[in-house]
Amino acid sequence: MNAVVTLLIGLVAIAVGYGVYAKSINKNVMNPDEKKATPAKMYMDGVDFTPANRNVLFGYQFKSIAALGPITGPIVAVQWGWLPALLWIIFGTFFIGWVQDFSTIMMGVREEGQSLGALSYRFVSPRARTILLTFIYFYLLLIMGAFGKIVGYDLMTNPAVPLGVLLVIGVGLLAGQMTYKWKMDIILTSAITVILAFVGIWLGTLPGVKNLFLAINGGETSPVVFGSVTQAQFIWSLVTLVICYFGAILPIWRWAQPINYVAFWIVFLGIAAGTVGLLVWRPSIPADFPAFTNWNGNLCAASDCSGLEKTPLALGALWPLLFVTIACGAISGWHSLVSSSGTARQLESEADALYVGGGAMFLEMFLAVLSLLTAVVGVGATTGFAGYVGMIAAGKNAGVFAVGLSEMMSRIGVPTSFGLPYGSVFLTLMALTIMYLVVRFMRVASAEFMGDKVPLFKNATFGSIVALLLSAVLIYTGFWARIWVLFGGANQLMAALTLLLITLWLMSKGKSYMWTLIPFVFMYITTIGALLLTAYNTIHQVMTTPGLAIDLVVGNWLAGLIAIYLVISALILGWDSLQAFQRQRAASVEAKAKV
Amino acid sequence: MTEEKKPGFWSNIKSVLYGMAGHDMSRYALKTRGSMEHLFILITMGDLLGIPILPPYYSLRLLPYVVPQISTWKRRMLRERDLTDALA
Repeated sequence: MNAVVTLLIGLVAIAVGYGVYAKSINKNVMNPDEKKATPAKMYMDGVDFTPANRNVLFGYQFKSIAALGPITGPIVAVQWGWLPALLWIIFGTFFIGWVQDFSTIMMGVREEGQSLGALSYRFVSPRARTILLTFIYFYLLLIMGAFGKIVGYDLMTNPAVPLGVLLVIGVGLLAGQMTYKWKMDIILTSAITVILAFVGIWLGTLPGVKNLFLAINGGETSPVVFGSVTQAQFIWSLVTLVICYFGAILPIWRWAQPINYVAFWIVFLGIAAGTVGLLVWRPSIPADFPAFTNWNGNLCAASDCSGLEKTPLALGALWPLLFVTIACGAISGWHSLVSSSGTARQLESEADALYVGGGAMFLEMFLAVLSLLTAVVGVGATTGFAGYVGMIAAGKNAGVFAVGLSEMMSRIGVPTSFGLPYGSVFLTLMALTIMYLVVRFMRVASAEFMGDKVPLFKNATFGSIVALLLSAVLIYTGFWARIWVLFGGANQLMAALTLLLITLWLMSKGKSYMWTLIPFVFMYITTIGALLLTAYNTIHQVMTTPGLAIDLVVGNWLAGLIAIYLVISALILGWDSLQAFQRQRAASVEAKAKV
Repeated sequence: MTEEKKPGFWSNIKSVLYGMAGHDMSRYALKTRGSMEHLFILITMGDLLGIPILPPYYSLRLLPYVVPQISTWKRRMLRERDLTDALA
């Protein structure tokens, strides 16, 4: 099959999903009223509640939901073959993804812009709010572990990348200075800083620079520092944490925001160049790249692994694990947080909710399909399926994306010697932009939970360091693939709980709710299954593998225990929700009887 | 009454790009302004309650700037918040 046909399938799914299914739900169930004042207008406070133009909000929503998830998830999921991954991206978005994003916005708009915590308190139970917030804390910790490991690996495996990332950060700081202190024109600032960022990435490719970073890594084969952690991994993961520390401590205008601004252009131009390159190239999916490998995602059963230094970790059963491996791009709990606390409070008209929430989700689906193709045709066309297996075995998940993107960009004249580090810098920046925000949030959360008992937690530096130390434990230990699955599981469980909340809300309003209840049941059972399986896999591996390195033992135990905690929280919330569900049903029967 | 002109294709694209690249920055600027307003209102709170804290001359100079902000400030202060507000 040609890659362009795959993109066309995605476009058809968008046309039918958005144009038919979503519009019909919007019209027949939600019934938006253009004349109704939204919370953004009714409670306008000039800060959180401020009406914004629908196009601006569409861009904001898309940028807020599309981080590393839609890019990395599909690349990892290709371990089961490209077809199951493609089908889940399309059907997941079609039946569940947009449903959650759009309905969360509508629920927020109709419930006066209340947050998910407040709504779960009202519709589920008082303890649901506390559980949800602790659940979110662990979820964010897993984001730090999964993203932090990717950034560390990305910086250590290609010595042409670190300088590019560090210089883009430096250029971002310059952008902040130019915008806020020197009050320079934003277009001029953008042009200067983006050009400087490109120069920075190019400088990283110079042989002298690469040799310097190779020396820092301790040579081509980096020496082991402890357990199975190498010197390069130790150094670059530490650098990542230090970058996050500054992002969490310094004022947003000084660090996080201008760096994110410059990073946005790197990412945006990369996606645009990759898409155009793919359309110019129009490659076919390589014949040796299997549509389906095997049920357990065991690459060595589908390809010859005898020449590899490390064998890739078999992820496990396609159901339930595929459905948590690809989270963003199909459905993600992160979106509900953005939609309820951010977008719902800025919506100018109820009629804009579908365009903003549903539209942004369908566009993210398109990004996920594009990312899938970077692995399947980008890497597949150059090194074949064996090349993909080799990169996954070496932990170069980010490398798969970089190779694929550079291959696509090379079709419009971007040399791969530049395209390769560009792809890696792109991916690293995407992760870092979320990681600052996460550490900031963890700091605020720990001050809220612990501040009264231990006043030290109210100190920003202390709170950030605690958050970073917890993240470091996850980053330096265990298997990345397991942490990714766990992160996906927490993310999907969050999505399932949001769908449940929406179902209860729809019931309370006497509206049709099967279109959210069925996705909830599927996601709830699937993610609990995935978390239990991950807990079993991690703990079982420790119990049955003699001589496992100490970092892997610690990481596996930690991953297993977090998975168990998440399952217990989900079961308590599920129980409370079942009671809330029965209450709502009884109330609606009573209301009907009165009529 | 003149009919409002519909924005064109490029204007929409510009708005989407602005939403992706710059909307967060303006939201943060608004949040900073909100925090400053809280401090500003705190300074003149005494006079709002009828208890002069600052010398009345300065308060009287400041009050005209505070009055337009009172209604939005009240909404911000009285709104129920939770941790997820810190995320968006």
